[in-house]
Amino acid sequence: MSENISRRDFIKLAGVTAATAAVLTGCGPASRYVVREPYTKMPEYTYNGQSTYYATTCRECAAGCGLVVRTMQGRALKVEGNKYNPTNLGKTCARGQAALQGLYNPDRIQNPVNQKGEEMDWDTAIGVVAETLGKYQPDEIAFLTGLAPDHLFDLFGEVAKTFGAPAPLRYGALGMFEARATLGEAARALFGQPNNLFFDLAGAEVTFSFGANFLETWVSPVAYTRGFAKMRQGTPGKRGYLVHFEPRLSQTAIKADEWFAIKPGSEGLLALALGKLTAEHQGKVIAAYEGVDVEAAAEAAGLEISTLERLARIFGNSRHALAIPGGAPLAQSNGLDSAKAILSLNALAGNLGQPGGVFLTPAAPVNDGYHRPATVRELALLVEKMASGQIKALFVHGVNPVFEIPAALGFSAALDKVETVISFASFPDETAVRADYIFPDHTGLESWGYQRLASGAKESTLSGAQPVVAPFYNTRATADVILAAAERIGKPLPYKDEVAFIQSKIESLVTTEGGFHAAPEINTFWAQFQQFGGWWTNDEKLGSPTSAVLDRPLAVRPAEYQGNGEYHLFTYVSPILGEAGANKPWLQEVPDPTTTVMWNTWVEINPKTAETLGLHDDDVVRIVSPFGAVEVSVYLYPAIRPDVIAMPFGQGHAAYGRYAEGRGVNPADLFGGAVNDAGDLAYAGLKVKIEKTGQKKQLSRLESRIGVYGYEEH
Amino acid sequence: MERIFDILKKPAVYYSLLIAVLAVVGGAAWAVYETQIPPEQPIDFPHNIHVGLQIQCLYCHPGAWKQASAGLPTQDKCWACHQQLTKYWDPENPVPLNQWPPELQKLAAYVENDEPIPWVPVAIVPDHVHFKHRPHIAAGVACQDCHGDMSSVTVAENPQLMNMGWCITCHQQKTVDDPVKREKLISCETCHY
Amino acid sequence: MAKNHNIPEYKAEWKAGEEGKWGMAIDMDICTGCNACVAACAMENNIPFVGEEDAGYGRGMHWIRIERLWEGKYPEVKTEFQPVMCQQCGSAPCEPVCPVFASVHSQAEKLNVQVYNRCVGTRYCANNCPYVVRTFNWRDYDRPEPLNNQLNPDVTVRQRGVMEKCTFCVQRIHKAQDQAKSEGREVFDGEVQPACAQACPADAIVFGRIDDPESRVSKLAKQGRGYKLLEDLNTLPQVTYLKGGSHVRNG
Repeated sequence: MSENISRRDFIKLAGVTAATAAVLTGCGPASRYVVREPYTKMPEYTYNGQSTYYATTCRECAAGCGLVVRTMQGRALKVEGNKYNPTNLGKTCARGQAALQGLYNPDRIQNPVNQKGEEMDWDTAIGVVAETLGKYQPDEIAFLTGLAPDHLFDLFGEVAKTFGAPAPLRYGALGMFEARATLGEAARALFGQPNNLFFDLAGAEVTFSFGANFLETWVSPVAYTRGFAKMRQGTPGKRGYLVHFEPRLSQTAIKADEWFAIKPGSEGLLALALGKLTAEHQGKVIAAYEGVDVEAAAEAAGLEISTLERLARIFGNSRHALAIPGGAPLAQSNGLDSAKAILSLNALAGNLGQPGGVFLTPAAPVNDGYHRPATVRELALLVEKMASGQIKALFVHGVNPVFEIPAALGFSAALDKVETVISFASFPDETAVRADYIFPDHTGLESWGYQRLASGAKESTLSGAQPVVAPFYNTRATADVILAAAERIGKPLPYKDEVAFIQSKIESLVTTEGGFHAAPEINTFWAQFQQFGGWWTNDEKLGSPTSAVLDRPLAVRPAEYQGNGEYHLFTYVSPILGEAGANKPWLQEVPDPTTTVMWNTWVEINPKTAETLGLHDDDVVRIVSPFGAVEVSVYLYPAIRPDVIAMPFGQGHAAYGRYAEGRGVNPADLFGGAVNDAGDLAYAGLKVKIEKTGQKKQLSRLESRIGVYGYEEH
Repeated sequence: MERIFDILKKPAVYYSLLIAVLAVVGGAAWAVYETQIPPEQPIDFPHNIHVGLQIQCLYCHPGAWKQASAGLPTQDKCWACHQQLTKYWDPENPVPLNQWPPELQKLAAYVENDEPIPWVPVAIVPDHVHFKHRPHIAAGVACQDCHGDMSSVTVAENPQLMNMGWCITCHQQKTVDDPVKREKLISCETCHY
Repeated sequence: MAKNHNIPEYKAEWKAGEEGKWGMAIDMDICTGCNACVAACAMENNIPFVGEEDAGYGRGMHWIRIERLWEGKYPEVKTEFQPVMCQQCGSAPCEPVCPVFASVHSQAEKLNVQVYNRCVGTRYCANNCPYVVRTFNWRDYDRPEPLNNQLNPDVTVRQRGVMEKCTFCVQRIHKAQDQAKSEGREVFDGEVQPACAQACPADAIVFGRIDDPESRVSKLAKQGRGYKLLEDLNTLPQVTYLKGGSHVRNG
C-alpha cells in the first residue's frame, strides 16, 4: 500500500527530461519510493503547466515551520507557508523563502567525493562508512549533528546505542547565540524540568523583553512575530505594551514602546531590581528580592532609579505582565542567575501557566524528551578528545562546526587529529572541505524527515518533511547510508531505509486520538502525514509550570568580562542570513533590516564614539580581542550605546560556495572560551579594542539609494 | 548637410545603401518566414489520420480546456491506443515490429526505451506573452479557429502568423457588444506581465 | 520630506467610475521589518540579484523594500519600518512621461502596468516616480545553472535595458480570476494574495478589493490610522499605510 501511495505521489516528481531520468535511475535504496519514469507516463491529474503543491518542513533553521512548495513538472518554484502547521500558520520568514536557492545552489556537492575531490560511487561510499564504523572502538566514534533535522538525530542516537558509541552531540550557532542550554537549565532549576519555554506574547498586556530579540531570530521567529502582531492589534481597543532592554536598537527594540540601551551583563540585576520595586509597589514582601540593591542595579544598567520605579509600576499594574529572557543576557558569566532572575518576574506577575504568561513547550509527539543543543562545555570536551587522538572517527551532519564553533575552542586544529572525518554536507562548507570524505545528503527540500518544534506552537506538533522534487544530483539520504553501512558490518538496525525508520517512529500516532488527522492504519496515516505536512494535536498541550522561586533569595553577581578593551562587543545573529544563509545569493541581497547593508559585514558604532575616535562611515577598523582580530567596515549606527559596538554573525566564510566565500568577517573569531554556569559560551561578556587601519571599504547599502529623499542625518 | 546629399548621389554609395536596405528588409522577411516553417518533429505525426478517425483534439491535448497549456501527448497516451490496434496486434497474426510503418516503429522505440518523445511545440507565443487556453475554450472558440483544419495536415503547422494584431483583432470582433469585456481583453496586463 | 509649498493646494479625487480596484493596507504597527516580503517577492517574480558592487551603486532590483527612517539622536532615537512597493497610483507620475506607452494604466484591473516588450529603457518613469520603486535592468544578470530552475513560468524574465516594478502579483490575480470564472463564481476576498502578503509573518500586509467596502483591506483602510504615502503629491496611491502606535522612549 505504501508503495502504491508513494508511487502515485512520486511519479509526479519525476522530471520530464532525460537528465532527470538518468539521475533517478542511478539511485539505489535512497530513491526506492521515487519512481524512475520521467513523464513518459504522466499521471492523469497532472497537466503541463499546472502546479502541484507539496507540504514539507523548512530546514533553514530548527524552528520546524511547515512549508508548501509549489512545483511544476518536477521543478520546485516557490516556497509558501503551510497554513495548517500550528507553528507558522501559512507564514514564512526570508530565510524560508530563500530555501530554493539552497536546492538550486550552483555550488552543491553533486557526488560522493574523497578529500582529493575524486568522485566515488555510493557503494564504495557505504563501504567507507561501514569500515569506519567497524574499525574503531565505540568510544572512538563521535557523531556531531545540527539542530535539524530531528529524525536524523534520533537515528544517530539509535546507531550510537547499537554500536555502544557516545550519544550524538547536536549543535548550531543559533542555539549557542540564544544560549538555549542556559534557558533550559534555568527552567529545570525553577520549574523542575528543562524546557525551551513558551512565552505567550499574544496574550500579554505588558511585556518586558530582556534582550529577547524575538523579532529578529530567537527560537521561532515566525511564531513569535505572530504573537507580537496579535499582542499589538489582535484585540480591538487594546494594544500590548512592549519594553525592551538591549544595548543596541534591534528590530525588536524598534518595535518596542520603550527601549533602554542598558549595559551588557546588567540584565539580571535589573530584573531583580524591577522585581523588588514591583513587589514594593504591590505592597508585597517577596523573599526572592530581599537582598536586592536597587541603586546598584540602576547604576550597573545605566538607568535612573525613577525610571525603574516607573517601569515597576507599569509591570505591577498589569494583569498580564510577561518577562522574557533573551539570548545575549544569558550568554554572560552571570547568565544562569540572570535567567532565573528574569523568569522570577513571571512568578511575581503570577502568569505561570496563565494566558499571556510562561508555559512549558508541549512535549513532542515523538521522542518527547527535551533534546537541547550541546553546551560549549560539552563541545570543549569533544574537542579535547579529538585533539588528544581519542576520537578517531567523526561524523558531521547538518552543522558546519569549523565555522559555527568559535575559533577559540580549537575545533579546527583538533579536526586534523581525527583519523577519519566524514561529512554529510550538501555544500562545500569549511568543515566539509577538510573532511576525508563528503557523502552529500539531499538538501531539505529533497529529503524525508520530521522536526520537533523548538517552541512556538501551543499544540504538540511534529512537522513532517517529504521530498518535493526528485534529488537533483547524485546525493543520498544520510539515514540510508548509515543504515546500509550498519547492515554491511553485521549490526543492522530494524529499519529497511529512512522512510521505514520515520514510519516506525510515527506509528504510535496512528491510533492517537485528538490529532489533526487520523487513520485506521499506517499507510493511510503516512499519506496524510505527507499531505498535511506532519501531525499535531487539535488541543493545546502547553504545560503549566509551578515554581517556588520567590521563596528563596535570588542574587545575580556582576558580570565578568573577558578582554580589556574599552568597548563591549555585542554580537547578534544576522536576522537575514542566520547561521547558514550566506550561500544563498538572494539572502545576501536582502538588506539587513536595521542597517540596510547587503553582501557584507559591518561594525556598528555610535556616531559620538566614532567622532571621538575620528572614524567615519566605511572606514575599515581592526577589532581586537585577546583571542583574535577582524578587520571590518564601520557603520555609524545612531542607536547603540556609546560604549558598545555590534557586529552580526553569518558572514566570514572561508569556503561554502561562491556567494559566501571570502565575504565579510566572522565576529565569533573574537570570542574567548569562557562559559557560564550552565556551560554555555559567555560570548556576550567581551570587551574589545578598536584600531584604525586608515583604509576604507564601502559597504553596499540600500539606504544610499533611497537617500535622495527623507534622508537627513544619521 | 549639402555635402551629405552630394555623397548620397554618388552611384556607388547609392547602390550600396540600397543593397544594405534590401539586405536588412530581406533578412527580416526571411526571419519571419523562417518562424513559419513547421519545425522537424521526432515523429512525422499524421494529424489528418487521427482527426479522420474522429479522435477529439482534447483527447490528446487535454490541458486546453482546463489549463494555460494544451499539452503534448506523452508516449503512454499514444501507446494506450496503438498497442491495441488489431491491425498489428492481432493475436492470430501479429505483425513483427520491423514490418510496422516507420513512424510507428519510432513510437515503439520510445516506449521500449522508456524515453519521453521530444515533441516540438508549433503554435507558440513569445516569452513575454502569457496565453491561456482555458478561457478561449470556455468562450466557445473552436480549436480550428486558431490552429486551422488539422484534418488536412500531417505534421502540425501554423495556419497564420500568431502575432498581437491577430489576437487583438479577434478580441475586438468578439466583444463589439460588451465594452467591459473589451476593456479586459485589450488591456496590456491581460497578456503581458 | 518637506512639503513643497510651490505646489498649489489641490486635492485629487477619483473620477466617478474610475476608482481603484485592487489595493493594499499595510499595518506599520505590526510590521517588524523582517524582510520576508522582500525575499518572497524576489522568489515569486524572477527578480535577479545584482551582487555587492551593483547593489552599492543602487542598482538592486528589489520591487519592495523596507524603509527605515531615523528620527532624533541617541538615546531619544527612534525609527519605523515601512515597506514600500509600487503604489499603483490612480494618477501615476510615471505614465505620462513614457514616450513609448510602456508605462500605462490598465483599465481592466486599474493597475499601473509596465509592458516589458514596449519598454525601450529611457528610464523617464523611474525618474518621475516619487516613491523610487521602479528598478532598471542595467545588465543581463547572471543566474548560474541550476539557479534558473527556480524561475516562475508565470512571470516574464526581463532583459537588460527594461524597466520593471511591482505588479501587485498580477499573475496571481489572473490565476484567481481564471479559477473563479471556471467555477462560475466571483473571486472571494482573500483569495488573491501577492507573494509579500502571503509570506508576511505578522500579517501586516493585507491585499484585496478596495472597491468592495466589505473587504478586509477596505475595512482596514477606513480605520483612523490610515494614510497614504506622499499624499500631497496627488498621485492617488492604492496602498494605505496604517500608522504605528505611540513610541515613547526613555521617557
